[in-house]
Amino acid sequence: MDTDTLLVLLTISIPWLGGICVWLVGDRHPNIQHRLATVFALLGGIVSLSLLQYTQGQTVINIPLGGAFGDFTLVLDGLGAYLTIIAAVIGGLAVIFSNDYMKGENQLGRYYSLTFLFIGAMIGLVLSGSLLFVFLFWEITAFCSYALISFHNDDPKAVAGGIKALIITSIGGVGLLIGAIVVYAYLNSYQINDLLVGAESLPPSVLGLIAFGFLIAAAAKSAQVPFQTWLPDAMEAPTPISALIHAATMVNAGVYLLARFYPAFEAVPGWRMTVMLVGMLSALLAGIMAVVVYDLKRTLAYSTIAQLGVMVYAIGAGAILASQFHLLSHSVFKALLFLGAGAVIHAVGTRDMREMGGLGKQMPFVRVVFIIGAISLIGLPLTNGFVSKELILEAGLEHTPFLLFALVMFGAGLTALYSTRMVWMVFYGEPRGEKHAHDAPGAMRFSLALLAFGTMTTWLLIGPFSQFLANSLPPSYEIEVVKTWEVILKVISTPATWVALLVAFLGASLWFLRDRFAGFVASLQPLADFIRGGLGFEWINQQIIRITKGTAAAFRPTQTGLLSWNVFGIVGGLVILLVLIVWGV
Amino acid sequence: MNFTPENIIFIGVLGLLGAGLYGLLVSRNLIKVVVALQILVKAAILGLVLAGNISQQINLSQSLAITVIVADTVVAVIGISLAVQIRRHLGSLDVIDVATLRG
Repeated sequence: MDTDTLLVLLTISIPWLGGICVWLVGDRHPNIQHRLATVFALLGGIVSLSLLQYTQGQTVINIPLGGAFGDFTLVLDGLGAYLTIIAAVIGGLAVIFSNDYMKGENQLGRYYSLTFLFIGAMIGLVLSGSLLFVFLFWEITAFCSYALISFHNDDPKAVAGGIKALIITSIGGVGLLIGAIVVYAYLNSYQINDLLVGAESLPPSVLGLIAFGFLIAAAAKSAQVPFQTWLPDAMEAPTPISALIHAATMVNAGVYLLARFYPAFEAVPGWRMTVMLVGMLSALLAGIMAVVVYDLKRTLAYSTIAQLGVMVYAIGAGAILASQFHLLSHSVFKALLFLGAGAVIHAVGTRDMREMGGLGKQMPFVRVVFIIGAISLIGLPLTNGFVSKELILEAGLEHTPFLLFALVMFGAGLTALYSTRMVWMVFYGEPRGEKHAHDAPGAMRFSLALLAFGTMTTWLLIGPFSQFLANSLPPSYEIEVVKTWEVILKVISTPATWVALLVAFLGASLWFLRDRFAGFVASLQPLADFIRGGLGFEWINQQIIRITKGTAAAFRPTQTGLLSWNVFGIVGGLVILLVLIVWGV
Repeated sequence: MNFTPENIIFIGVLGLLGAGLYGLLVSRNLIKVVVALQILVKAAILGLVLAGNISQQINLSQSLAITVIVADTVVAVIGISLAVQIRRHLGSLDVIDVATLRG
């Protein structure tokens, strides 16, 4: 077996082995569970990093399964490899963070084994070269997400949030499955590479069906408009899970899917415009919602939707490199923000920002790392968010209609406003809570410090990152190899950056001038309540549930439970089928 | 229509199928339901052997037929034992009484 095959198999199997081992240890030995999980997390992260050396876009595993299942393949290329590293490394850090965060919780075996199952499945999803297995891993990650959101299964809100996430992402998954089956029907292969090569030979209507099917799947997974409602409700999950699944990895799967198939779909009429619109609307609406909510984690969830929207918008604009680099930056700084929020929530015991305030003095370390994350989220210099976001805005200014660009820019201003509001409400001002908070303990600090370091340094990787992607991906992805210093100079000198910084400054200063506008803000209170209710999307969800339940109730009388009627139905169905066959339909 | 062996067996399959379905449609006694189900499955087995003979894949059809026989036996045993339990708990073997699931 070649080294690269062995390493790929190890990166997938180490988390899964870890999951089984931690589960087998049993919940009576929580200390052993914590330590074992840490060992596997570190091991998985280190092995995944070694993939960097072997990534050349080659197929490392190819097992023919026969029949309609096609071949099971794992392809090691730049896009898959860097997402693997994100999943393994940030997954590892989240597991280490859990050492402190989940201390004293029951059923750690369930918690850790599901987390490890998720990490392995996520790696499988991004490395898989077969659409059928992309779908399989896609659904495994959805299941893990559901089970971990509902981890506290005695809390009805957690259970409801988990089921909501499962239903919405599964509905999207249908789009992926239909696309995969259509690809198989026309190309007689599930291989992604075959689709990329053979896309031009497909009839335009079929290619359009696949393209929009995949877009629905991506929008549902990445919580884009109109499927975004599940992500805020998913915040009932333990915070390390929010950081790992709902910020750094799983929600990126949609962006990954769009980027992966961009060369095949870019020629589909209206597809790129739809992608840009979905991204822009998500960035804008989620930004508006983030400004009004009081729940710390929900604020972060809305900002995740907004940032994912920016990435989707970048793909629509054709800037694959910029979108993927922002994905990398976002994974790092959003994991940092979520874990920082986790440390705060762990110390204060509430998620409501109205009950926090003035925590900076009690938790100086968390304040520093959280502010680093927030600066990166806003996109200020010296952080990874700055470089990646400016790359996207620059591409947006060049390749998209000005109105779209302006709206995305407005979203960036909102980002500055709600980030400042969040930092201020949590760490500054008068203490509003009664409980005295302690600063983060050791394992938490380790994860936070590493992520903060990453937030301040990964922007230096833009040069090697572009080289890495360009070397192992086909030229159809249009990845331009750049040098780090050239990019920095270009970013500093381009007008988009200065406009963005100005907008960010305006957004942030709006928060400090809030007293001037007090009367105006008060008059907007009904509007804010409407936004907090989910901007009407929640109402649409409720209507869909109501209609589904009503239809089901209407069909209830057909379920008599009587054997004779059921047999009659079967025979009747058979007769109809026979008639159709004889007729030759 | 010629009375070749294939045709005769085909008529037999149809006859068994009809008898089984008729039994399922009209009988209310659970034991009779199980018997009707058995007749239906026998039609399926006969059909498998016939199909194997026509398509010259005797091995495949025989192994499938044996598989069906095994599965069918299990179904029969469980069906009968369920009928016995239902009779004990509800005091009745009527499928309409069973359909209410009260007991």
